[in-house]
Formats: sequence, structure tokens, C-alpha cells
Amino acid sequence: MAVALESWKALGTSVHVLVTDAHGLARATSAVSEVLEDVDAAYSRFRNDSELSHLNANPGRSVRVSPLLASAIDAAQRAARLTDGAVDPTIGHAIRVAGYDDDFSRVAARGPHPALPRERGREIQLRAWRVPGWQAIRFDRRARTVLVPAGVELDLGSTGKALAADLAARAALSAAGTGGVLVSLGGDIAMAGTPPSGGWAIRVAENSRVRPDADGEVICVPAGGVATSSTTVRRWTRGTAVLHHIIDPQTSLPATGPFRTVTVAAATCLDANIASTAAIVRGEAAIDWLLSCHLPARLVENDGTIHYIGRWPDPSGVAA
Amino acid sequence: MDPLTPTQRDRGLERLRRLTFGATAGALVAVVGVSYVAAASYAGTSSANGSATAADTTTTTSTTTTTDSSSSSSSTSSSNSLQPSTQAPTTGSSGSGTVTSGGS
Repeated sequence: MAVALESWKALGTSVHVLVTDAHGLARATSAVSEVLEDVDAAYSRFRNDSELSHLNANPGRSVRVSPLLASAIDAAQRAARLTDGAVDPTIGHAIRVAGYDDDFSRVAARGPHPALPRERGREIQLRAWRVPGWQAIRFDRRARTVLVPAGVELDLGSTGKALAADLAARAALSAAGTGGVLVSLGGDIAMAGTPPSGGWAIRVAENSRVRPDADGEVICVPAGGVATSSTTVRRWTRGTAVLHHIIDPQTSLPATGPFRTVTVAAATCLDANIASTAAIVRGEAAIDWLLSCHLPARLVENDGTIHYIGRWPDPSGVAA
Repeated sequence: MDPLTPTQRDRGLERLRRLTFGATAGALVAVVGVSYVAAASYAGTSSANGSATAADTTTTTSTTTTTDSSSSSSSTSSSNSLQPSTQAPTTGSSGSGTVTSGGS
């Protein structure tokens, strides 16, 4: 079965759409584009005209939101609940203070500035306000109303992208009509429909920019989602501090645990992303937590040591 | 105190009957009203058994084809635990259409 592929850039990252029936590629691609345009308009943090920006700009007021933004907020709150707050949508202020306040291509282009202010000749330490916690958000799922208290800023970046991959895969399958589809948004992967014989081949790497034909581990997955979270990408510097995009809500600063990259397979890309992000934040407790969730996972320590968890296939053949 | 005439007694009994009926009707209205307000204010959460059902539903829904973003996503995010895939990944070169999963 020949697999057809289309790739482009959207949401500040790479998009890949694969279909098992090449005749449906154009329709699948169009459907994915529409979903991503809707997602960008609903919950981009970097568009002043997005619904999310409007919500963050109106603290203390109950705002009725679109079904898509309501779904994204619902997903983010579920993520926070299931991870005991390790993945929290109220990190918006913290990540902005850390310096990630624009599309990452522009953040990366700034270089090592702005430097942190100096006090008595020494660079002061970066500090952020305490992350308020997801319980601060008053969200009525049925009425689709959201109240963001003053001083709280929502960021749906982590769960939002994975949710978008799930939605895009379903829309692509519906548009293609037959066969199976795979959608990758910057390495967050969702599959739908009938997979190719042997499953979808997925190369596991620390950076989604690694070419699919590069050396490294390849797994075969028939359905669901695969997501990778890593502190080795989306890094920037402020003064002498090297920062990354995975915020630990406990400290309001980038996570500093023993794992630099975590990949998880789950029933959906959203659940895989929630687990991989939470594992980075949870640090040493991540392995036991992933085992308790029965989620197959691959964890890379900061020194390069790799752990295979649950039903994740170990290339050496040794069960975890 | 003079004894009541039959007419006075009948009027008193009628007044008592009306009061009893009014109090009962008022209590019923109050119970219905308070119940409605309570039901609307406290939607409740799924029990453990309910979550298992939701999880099953999520798995089923994830394989269906729908273009309704809101309905499909809400079913995705309704389960009360992270859902493992029904089939675990395998190693190998038998799969098709390689893409890379990595940080971005």
C-alpha cells in the first residue's frame, strides 16, 4: 500500500499529512488546513485577534467562547486534573516572563537578550509570579462561558497542539473517505482510520526536525497518538540563563528534572502529550506515574540514558 | 368561654382544612424549586463506573469519522484517566510512511 505525503508549515511548526489512499490526499490536506486555521484563530497566544487573546485581555468577566476554544479549555483542565497540576493552562504569565512571548521563530532570533536586569553588579535571578493553578479558571462547559480572574493568563500551547492533531486526523479521514491517515504537528502525531500493513512507522527522536530516514529508533503504531516533549528544543537564553518552554507550575520556571525528552504512545495524541509533558515536569516520579497509567513510554535522561516503560518496545529485547 | 355553635365549629374546621392544604402545597412547591436549583447548580461528576464507560466511548469515538470538531473533542477529553492505546507499539521496519516524533 503506497502512502502519500504532503508537508507544510502552520501554527509555527511543521505539518505532515499521510494517507494510505493517494486519491484522498488533496481532500485530507484541505481538511487539515481548515482545522489548523480554526485552531489558530481560536487559541493562538501570539495573535492579538484570537479568541484566547480576547479572553486573556478581559479578566474578571464571563466570556462566551466558541465550541473549539471550549474544547481546548476543557482538554487543558482535564490535563491539569489528571496530572495533579503538572500540566497547567495558567502558566501563561510565567512563560511570557521567561521570555517566550512571541512566535518562537522571533524569540529565537533575538539572541541572548533581553538580558536580565543587574543588581549590585550581579544578574538577578529570574522569578515569575506563582502559577495560579487551573482551579482559578471558572469554566462552564455547558454554557461555554469562561471567567479568567485578574492576574491569570491562559496558555493552551501544550495540550492545544495535540488536540489539534487529533481533530485534524479525524477531519482528514472524513474528507479522504477511505483508508487511514496520519497527521503530525511538530512531532505530535495522531492517526485515524485503517493503518497501512504493519502500522505507521514513527522515528523517535529528541527533535522533530530529525529526518525520518535518519539513524535511530523506529516504532510501528497502528492507531491512536504518539507525542514527544523535550527540553532540548525551543530553548532560548536570557542573560546567562538557558531556558526552555516546559514550565513547572510548582516553581513557575522551566522544569529542571532528570529527563530531557519523553515520548509516549496513547489512545489519542492529546493523552500522549499530556503524559509526556507531565513526565518531564514530574521528574524522578515520572516512571512510576507512567507505569500506573499503563502508558508505554520512552524516557531520555539528561545524560542520555534511555528508559523503556510498560509496553514500549525495547530495541535490545529486554522488557522494562 | 361559650361553647362553639355547630356553624362556628364547621367554619373553624374549614379554615383548618384550607391552612393544611395550603401548607402542603407550599411545601411541595418549595421542594421542587430547591431541587431544581440544586440540580442546576451542582452538575455532579462521574463515578468510577461512569469513567469506565466514558473511556470505552472515547476509544470508540476516536475511530469514527466526524468533522464536528466540538463534539469529537469533547468526547476525547471526557474520560477520567489517560487512555492507553489498544495496541502497543512494536519495533520494526514493517511499517509505512515514516515520520518523526520529537520535540518541537
